[in-house]
Amino acid sequence: MKIFFATDIHGSEVCWRKFLNSAAFYKADLVILGGDVTGKIMVPIVNHGTYWQVVLSGETHRLETEAELEKIETQIRNRGYYPTRVSPDELAALNEEDGSIDRRFTVEMISTLDRWLDMADSKLRGGEIPCIVNGGNDDTFDIDAVVEASPCVTFAEGKLVDLEGFSLVSMGYTNPTPWDTFREAPEEDLVKRIDNVVNQIPDMGRAIFNFHAPPFGTGLDDAPALDENLRPMHGGVVMKAVGSTAVRDAILKHQPMLSIHGHIHESRGIKKMGRTLAMNPGSVYGDGVLQGAVIDLNLKKGKVDRYILVNG
Amino acid sequence: MSTVEEASSSLGGGRVGDEAPTLFLRKATGLVRGWSVRDSIIYACLSTNVVTLGIVEMSYNSFIPRGQLLTSILISGVWVSFLVITYAGLIVTIPRAGGDYVWQSRILAGPLGFVMATTGWWFILWLWAPIYGAVLNEELFQPLLVTLGHPGAASFFGSHNGDFVVCLITIALAGFLVSLGMNGYAKVQKWCFAGGLFGFIVVLALLLFSSHGDFVNAVNTYGKALFHTNHAFAATNAAAKTDGYASPSFSLGPLGPSMLLIPFMMFYLLWPNWGSTLYGEVRGASDFKRVFTGMFTGLWLTVLLSVAFLFLVAKTIGYGFYNNANAVWWTSYYAVPKAATPAMSIWPYPVMLASWLVHNRAFQVILILVMALWFIAWVGTLFLSSTRVIFAAAFDRVLPDAAATVSEKRKVPMASLVLMLLPAVGLSAVYSYSLQFQTYTLDATLVIAVTYLFSAIAALILPWRKPDLWAASPASKMKLLGVPIVPVAAFVTIGLLGFNIYEWLSNSTYGVNNHKSLVFMACLYAAAIILYVVARLVRKRQGIDLGLINREIPVE
Repeated sequence: MKIFFATDIHGSEVCWRKFLNSAAFYKADLVILGGDVTGKIMVPIVNHGTYWQVVLSGETHRLETEAELEKIETQIRNRGYYPTRVSPDELAALNEEDGSIDRRFTVEMISTLDRWLDMADSKLRGGEIPCIVNGGNDDTFDIDAVVEASPCVTFAEGKLVDLEGFSLVSMGYTNPTPWDTFREAPEEDLVKRIDNVVNQIPDMGRAIFNFHAPPFGTGLDDAPALDENLRPMHGGVVMKAVGSTAVRDAILKHQPMLSIHGHIHESRGIKKMGRTLAMNPGSVYGDGVLQGAVIDLNLKKGKVDRYILVNG
Repeated sequence: MSTVEEASSSLGGGRVGDEAPTLFLRKATGLVRGWSVRDSIIYACLSTNVVTLGIVEMSYNSFIPRGQLLTSILISGVWVSFLVITYAGLIVTIPRAGGDYVWQSRILAGPLGFVMATTGWWFILWLWAPIYGAVLNEELFQPLLVTLGHPGAASFFGSHNGDFVVCLITIALAGFLVSLGMNGYAKVQKWCFAGGLFGFIVVLALLLFSSHGDFVNAVNTYGKALFHTNHAFAATNAAAKTDGYASPSFSLGPLGPSMLLIPFMMFYLLWPNWGSTLYGEVRGASDFKRVFTGMFTGLWLTVLLSVAFLFLVAKTIGYGFYNNANAVWWTSYYAVPKAATPAMSIWPYPVMLASWLVHNRAFQVILILVMALWFIAWVGTLFLSSTRVIFAAAFDRVLPDAAATVSEKRKVPMASLVLMLLPAVGLSAVYSYSLQFQTYTLDATLVIAVTYLFSAIAALILPWRKPDLWAASPASKMKLLGVPIVPVAAFVTIGLLGFNIYEWLSNSTYGVNNHKSLVFMACLYAAAIILYVVARLVRKRQGIDLGLINREIPVE
């Protein structure tokens, strides 16, 4: 069985489209998206009556036609941002009312995700190509029901999914970050969450851990060390292990065949942990490049036959 | 922790824009502030190291007898500024670890990126190890031992065996500093930079507040005391005359010969972007001005230090004596037939000469030690960049997975260090025992310049090769009279690198274009190509297509 794994596309529409095409491109039997599906930034496009105005990368664009508007919205979406059309009054309200930004974000996120899942339906031949998605720490819980409802995508968060003899268990939660994001939990809680799903696995020799957080101290979890003001230290040259000890310990204890991770975009890499092959394909979603891993699994031997990290 | 985006002062979610908000952020990982520009200035200044590289290379002025260092350095500074713009453009467009490897792989072709990164960031750094060793010898061991009154020990370090010992010390030091990890080494670097800069200012102050007469007396006094040479000042000038060298007076002209000094000056001024692979790990690099300012200011700080140094050399040491002493030394060192014997039996390290203006041995020793901080601050990077390239190649399955092995206890990249250390030791032996090989020093600059050349080509064609990526890049918004400055700067950079590569390969003055040197460099490129081809074949047999690595998935 050949799988394609990618992660952390953070709202980049071009990466989502590539993800949907990845099965055909890499001749994969199954595609997995490992969390952090949604974007972090919303860009207002302001209606001034006879024209629209948007500021992108510090450059002000005045848009006269619907075609121009759609073109810039595509650019915004491809970067992982959400375009949102607003009137000046709505913009003022977003600026002033407590919670209004989060509410607007949710609306844009959900509508984008709905549209994405519609795309998936046609690209994945109505579910003929299995597609698995789970949450990441940056994904709000609003997305869970939306993905669950999709007929062609399996929402794998906190579940065991049987893949023709392989057992895939998924967890989008991470150890705490300085940003206090949505799916974070202390390491002790992560241990329990991991145990809950891992205990369902019938054969650890054919198990795949799909945990968003990479294992601590493995080189798959090196991020720029930050000072107390969240500023990278020493010009950004100093990296620090920020992965999860619970994930590391679970891998070392259970020794699954494969362990796939994301979360730390800078830490693209591969690490052999005893019998387990652990990997983090990293992410450069902002460039419109879908980093991922193409992995050949051997059901009979219960091992990874081949793998390669790609920049698709 | 995912992406570092310099987007907001309210990092936990909020709005950006002074009046009407132009974007909104939600609570999400990785929204951090940009790193300190001061840090990037320090790295750029350290990599264009005025002491360990600059002062050494300025001593080759006599190889272009009518060339003016001042003119050459200023032109180099202006020209390299375009390289800074080019690299700032690349960094903010594809901001990630991997630098040249990633840019060339993505914009040009994967195999080309591999060959250029392997030769420019890995193989040629084997040669930099003995070069750094030679610098350590010239700027620390020999002047220190002479100052301490041990000329015998100093002469040992001037021998082949001594050269090799210092190379081994350098390699061990670089390996040790890498094993400290960047967290420890970054702190060391900052303290060394502060101390080294202080030492440099002391040297400038000594030259500023002393007269030429003071200096002549000092040279004569210490020439006699340390080298047993009577009237060392006059003897040096006489030796230069014997060698047929006549120093030009200190001025800005003429242009032609000064241009020919530029390929020498690239030995130190071509590296303000050296940290670009390191910047690349920080997504906050999406701020073009921030990245540019760091590299540009670091470069021009080095240029200004160089200019100040030259003016004060001309004032107190005397430009004629400075060039004569260097000319006599290198003529003798390279065993030119009938070369005069230098009045000083070691390289006339300007810091040592300046230290003689204070008649206190402890002060002289301390000044030499303090200036060695410039060396310690940068030698660790010798292997750091290489280990990153080796890791990237291992993750791309071009090298065996074991190449990316990190020791569990100390987190030291053992395999990649071995891949650096062993060849570096071998080349150090060749370098130390072969005088001819030492003339290949500028090969080390040339090979990296070729790597830069392809990155500049990538920057030039980026708007056409990757229009969407370019349109999304902050670099595309940087315009002058409506023209994007990055492709224009890339074009000028190609001119800079093309000029230097042409001169290195066509002009025997630089010691590069002889048969063995060319064979040496050809071997590096051949080894990289063979490595890639073998990896591709082996992986193909294993069912892995390395051609897939950078093949883009269709969007529609």
